[in-house]
Amino acid sequence: MSDRLRPLLVVAAALVLVLGVVPAVLGALDRSYLYQVANLALIFVLLAASMHLVTGVAGLLQLGHAAFYGIGAYTAALLATEAGLTFGWTLPLSGLSAAFVAVLVALPTMRLVSIYFAVATLGIGQMIYLVMLNWVPVTKGPNGILVTSGLELFGYDLSASAPAYFVVAIITLVSLWVIHRLSHSYYGNALRALREDDQCADAMGLDTVRLKIESFAVSGFFAGIAGALWAHTAGYISPADFAFPQSILILAMVVVGGLGSLPGAVIGALILILLPEVLRPVGDFRNIIVGGVLFFSILLMPKGIIGEVSALDLVRRQLGGAWRGEGTKAGPEVGWR
Amino acid sequence: MDRRNLLIGAGLAALVASGGMAFAQQPVVKLGYQLPLTGNTAQYGQDFKNAAEIALAKFNSSGKPFKVEIIFEDSRSDAKEGIAIARKFVDNKEIVGVLGDFTSGVSMASAQVYKSAGMPQLSQTASHPDYAKISEWQFRNITTQAQEGPYNANWMLERGFKKIAVIAEQTDWGQTVVSNFADEVKAKGGEIVFSEFFNRGLADFRPIITKIAREKPDAIYTGFFYEDGAQFLKQMKQLGVDIPVYSTSAAYNQKLIELAGADAEGMHLTATFLPSNPAPHVQEFVAAWKEKTGQAEPGQFPAQAYDAVNIMLAAVEKAWPEPTRQKVRDALAATKDFPGVTGDTTFDANREPAKKLTKAVVKNGQFVAVTD
Repeated sequence: MSDRLRPLLVVAAALVLVLGVVPAVLGALDRSYLYQVANLALIFVLLAASMHLVTGVAGLLQLGHAAFYGIGAYTAALLATEAGLTFGWTLPLSGLSAAFVAVLVALPTMRLVSIYFAVATLGIGQMIYLVMLNWVPVTKGPNGILVTSGLELFGYDLSASAPAYFVVAIITLVSLWVIHRLSHSYYGNALRALREDDQCADAMGLDTVRLKIESFAVSGFFAGIAGALWAHTAGYISPADFAFPQSILILAMVVVGGLGSLPGAVIGALILILLPEVLRPVGDFRNIIVGGVLFFSILLMPKGIIGEVSALDLVRRQLGGAWRGEGTKAGPEVGWR
Repeated sequence: MDRRNLLIGAGLAALVASGGMAFAQQPVVKLGYQLPLTGNTAQYGQDFKNAAEIALAKFNSSGKPFKVEIIFEDSRSDAKEGIAIARKFVDNKEIVGVLGDFTSGVSMASAQVYKSAGMPQLSQTASHPDYAKISEWQFRNITTQAQEGPYNANWMLERGFKKIAVIAEQTDWGQTVVSNFADEVKAKGGEIVFSEFFNRGLADFRPIITKIAREKPDAIYTGFFYEDGAQFLKQMKQLGVDIPVYSTSAAYNQKLIELAGADAEGMHLTATFLPSNPAPHVQEFVAAWKEKTGQAEPGQFPAQAYDAVNIMLAAVEKAWPEPTRQKVRDALAATKDFPGVTGDTTFDANREPAKKLTKAVVKNGQFVAVTD
């Protein structure tokens, strides 16, 4: 197969799977429960992918990711209920507000490294959660917010099961593509350099602080997008949806899938959302089984289900991101396509 | 398999009707119950399940023309899971009514699904002021603070307490505890001298108690569950603060007395369910509960769940022989003076229950009904 054709085929296959096969199966079974689980899985795929960028690629252990998810959801819910904006507006604005807060959070924490950074984000995540819980006049506090407007885009109401799936799937796919391009590029390599040794990267001329803030902002943006999707598909949000356990859940997805691996993050999210649902008939023991699966997957595959090395290899071969010989007159171009 | 049983059952029932056959398998009506069976709030969900099984066993052995089956699903008090369960119940065409969830948050998130699909939902505990307003499909079997708050305010004012301090947990329910109570106190000429919220599971109430003591109130009104309540009462005694404490029916739980011991003595509260009530149906439930769970007397919440299941079963029976979701909803809405263990229940036009409240006090390690 030609090197140019293969990436197109791989992308086409993924699109056919997500936008063709899955909805066809869901449509044939016609159970709103399956649509709900599919939407939830996609929202968490997006959350895991956004965390992958900052924790996997840039190596900044983030323990407060659910807070940005929450900011997106609250922005969407408040704009929809208080300002009467439709999904078409609340979606980008949620992403932007979460990105804005992410930048504010990043500015003072960027000088921290490793575990200190993790604890700082843990604290900030908790602070944002407590603000959602206790700032009653604005967030309605523990009462939560009923989001009455569904997925309305360009005047069409897309809240029914099948259209809602397509909305969530397309937004998730576009976001994944952006995150893929960011993490599998010169830019992604710079972030990886930063992760391996930020002083060395600094000495090589990389603006490490700017890179960290940028990756944090992009990650926050997509978490905010996921929040808007949740607020509009669930119809009711409350602070409990964005508490610390959700941050840990997202982190577990990224780690189980493979730190630094985008396909890993996607698979990790799918496993941790779908497995508890599949195991529902088992009853009270399902959480123990999920815990066991996590434990053994980390024990037996410490690099994750698809580790970073195999993920990069996959991307280079299947998506044509390999070193190319053509290059410029000065010599072969080095790096990603 | 279940569907086949139903078909066979229906076929045999027809045979019985026409030919008078002696043996027949009964048709089955299905209900869903979403509740936290694992996770942080599992102790409540497990109690609900026990209460529901007691009610169901009694119903199915009482010679009705049909059997009822309840499908329990674990929501872990997580809205994501609650919504997925709601979808699952709605998809199952055999399910004609749903009970649960435990927390208002999960109940309200799931209610969005039940609203759009048209499924009657009866929660035993969702106390959020907007829960029953979501749609005509939402019911609850818990007195709201709109009823309890003014009732307690008048009780305390009648006993001569004018300066009152209020604390409550920082939840949707705690918010309504404070607002409904404080509004009535102010309207009747009393004074709220202190008001603060705490986060559930707070280990150290001493700063709050110190602040309360500084304001020298006549009494303290509290919105907490038994875990926080026991901590609060113990720490009050430790600090030597001796101010009368009043609370809501949510604190009504034998475990409060077990945890706080002698420090719970003298606490006043309202309740809709007292296991010491000699009425035969209450004693029957208490005996069945002790036998099934091996625990002490049931608390307020399992009693509410028991009644909620019975109310739902009565509605299904009213909707028989061809129960649909719409018919069950209408039968629920028509519930009037249902004799439950938490008092007689009538749903008003807004699907809110009105119940008779009982005043009680902790005396010698027991909840005892009082008149003043």
